[in-house]
Formats: sequence, C-alpha cells, structure tokens
Amino acid sequence: MASRKEQKEQARATRIAKEQQAAAQAQRARRLQVSVAVTALAAIVVAVAIVLSSGGSSGLKHGSAASAVYKTVNAEIGGIPQSGTTLGRPSAKVTLNYWGDLQCPICRDFTLGVGGGGLPEFIAKDVRAGIAKVHYESLCTATCNPADPTGGMGTFNVQQSAAYSAGRQNLAWYYIELFYRQQGAEDSGYATRKFINGIAEQIPRLNLGKWQAGVSSKVLVSQVDSSQTTGISTYKFNATPSFTISGPKGTASLGSGILTYSELAAAVKAVS
Amino acid sequence: MSTAPASVLTAAGRAGSRRSALMTAILVFTTIGCLDAAYLTYVHYQGFGALVCLGAHNGHSSCETVQSSVWAEIDGVPVALLGLIGYLGLFSSYLVTERINGELGRGLGFCIALIGFGFSGYLTYRELFSIHAICEWCVGSAVCMTVLAVLTGIRFLRGEPPALDQPAA
Repeated sequence: MASRKEQKEQARATRIAKEQQAAAQAQRARRLQVSVAVTALAAIVVAVAIVLSSGGSSGLKHGSAASAVYKTVNAEIGGIPQSGTTLGRPSAKVTLNYWGDLQCPICRDFTLGVGGGGLPEFIAKDVRAGIAKVHYESLCTATCNPADPTGGMGTFNVQQSAAYSAGRQNLAWYYIELFYRQQGAEDSGYATRKFINGIAEQIPRLNLGKWQAGVSSKVLVSQVDSSQTTGISTYKFNATPSFTISGPKGTASLGSGILTYSELAAAVKAVS
Repeated sequence: MSTAPASVLTAAGRAGSRRSALMTAILVFTTIGCLDAAYLTYVHYQGFGALVCLGAHNGHSSCETVQSSVWAEIDGVPVALLGLIGYLGLFSSYLVTERINGELGRGLGFCIALIGFGFSGYLTYRELFSIHAICEWCVGSAVCMTVLAVLTGIRFLRGEPPALDQPAA
C-alpha cells in the first residue's frame, strides 16, 4: 500500500499531467486559429497580386496615365524624322528592317528594352545621330496564333494598317511605341477597334478622321500583306521580331529574336 | 533534481530528429527555389539570350514566351524578382524563428510559402490556359513553393520541439 507521501506525489503528478494536457490542447487550438488567419491573410495577398497583375485585359491607359505614356514615347522618339513606318533621317545610310506583330510580347520587349532588347539604345545612339533608320514591317505571329479565337489575319490587318495609317501622317512610330507599351495579354482578344482607337487618340498631333479612313483600307491592307509575304517568302521568317539590315556593303538577315544593342551595333558596322 | 525517463527522452529525441529532417528539407527547397528565382531575375534584366529552355512556342523558346508575357510582371516589377524576395523572406523567417520568436518566425514562413504557393498556382494556370507555353524554371519554382507550403505548414502546426534541458540518467 502506498504511503501518504507517495499518494500526494501521485496526485501532484496527475494534476501536473492534466494541466500540461490542457495547456497543450489550448496551444493546439490557438495554433489552428492562427493558421486559419495566416491562410486568410495569404489568400488576400494572392488576390491583390492577381488583380494587380496586368493579365486578362488590355493595358490601355486613360487620362494622366495615358499622357505619361505619351511623354515617355515622345522623349524617346520626339524630334526624329519619320516617313511612313520609317524612323530616322532619310539620309541615314543603314536601314534596319524590323518585322513585328503589334500583339507579339517579344517584339514589345525588344521595342521597350526589356530582356536585353536593344531598340531604345539603338534609337538613342544610331537613329538620332543619323547613322541608321528603322523601318517597321508586318509579320503575323502572336495575332495569328490558332489559340486566339479573336485573332487571325483579319485582326492583324486592322491593327497593323492602323500603324501604317498613322504613318501617312508621319506618326507611325508613336502608334507602334504606344501600342507596345499598352499591349494586353496574348490571345485575350484585347486588340479591338476600341483599343486601336484608344491608342490613336493618345497621339495629340494625329488627325483622327484621316487616320480612321486609312485603317483597313485596301491600299494599306495590301501593304501589310506584301510585308508579310516578303518576310515569309524572301527571308523565311516564321517568328517575330525578325530583322534584316542594309547599308553600303549590302543586305544581311539578322534572324529572329531579341537583339541587344551590341548585336545591332555590330550589324550596323558590318554593312557600313 | 528530477530526471526524465529514458523512454520520454528517446521519444523526444526522435521528434527532434524528425524536426531536424523537416528543417533540412525546408532549407533545401528554399535554396533551390531561391537559385531558380535568382536566375530568372538575372535573365529578365540581362537578356533572354541567357535563358536555357527545352520547349518551343511560335519560333521562340517557351520560357522566353512566358517571361515576355504580360503575366511576367506586376506593375512593372518582374514576378521572378517577387519570387526571389519571397524566398529571401523565407530565409529571414527561419532567422526570426531561431533568434527572435519561434512561433512568429514559423507563422511568417508559413504565410510567405502560402502566398508563393497561391500565386505560383495562378501563374501556372496562366501558362497552361492563356500563354499556352510552359517555362520549366517557373514550374520548378512552383513545385518548390508547393512543397514549402506543406512543410512550413507542418512545422507551424507542430510547434516548438519539446525542451530537453535534462540529460538522460
């Protein structure tokens, strides 16, 4: 039979064990509550990130945001002569022919200098200095992706002829730069007439009536088609951006993909 | 001076060893994910020419297509950089656990991993159903975040390892 002292110790141990069990249960319950709160907080942060993500809609800006985009473009190409879809002085001896699709995200990166894209530096150093000019051509890639239910040559002709139409007022490069800077998600069908008109409306000097008359006009659509045919048949391009360069020493194909400024500068040197 | 029974200490030792294995796994996946995100961030700023990828899409590597998509940035900030910040945040949460407050650090780590898991899931959905191209590096990071969400969740729910301040008699 246990002594009185042993009984007291046993009772104490039992009490301590119960207290520990209760404390552990309380801690588990609290941890579960905290984990629910943590999960809810994480869900809110993810939801905000998804909303902030530019996917799913066009990036067409309005009001002061649109003015800010225009100012950025104007700082890059303002003061450089334009003729049709060519940016640069007519006297420049080297011409970089750039085949692009306005819905192509890789063309956007090349044009905006993302992922090593060298066009902004090329414009700043070679085009502005009159060493080279850039001529924009059309090749349907992203817009003609079969996964895009609203894409195809119909959409392509509208959006590209819209740039050519701005080119009739020597403002094509404003249109091209503004389009790329507000490009929407690939295959999302964002490049509607409303979007295209919205881009045009951001160019202060563009006569919208004259511009509208040129969009989808037979002459400009055939110019888009001709550009596409040359890219595919003559140079065997199947992706955008694709490039050729011509100068006093001849013409060379630079292939497809993002070109860095050093690659462009080397190509200019090779044909000069 | 009381001593814990050897059986309790052995059980506690096993639990401690499991926790150590859990923490090792967490550190391994965080390191892999961090290196993955650092590489994608480097490529984003240095040029997609450095991007090694197996798949192809519209004449470009599928990684280039994904990294050039509108979903590759949030308000101009590359998601690869956000991922890198997330992994560095996970490392910081482990430091908080060790040096400041165990429960806070574990909760913070769990929260960061859950956010990474949720956003990685969204981006994988976009790759599959909007971009129609898969970037292996992005999938790698998504797998790391998924595993980390599970592991940090287990770590958070298990709580502190039992104190073993007494040696076995």
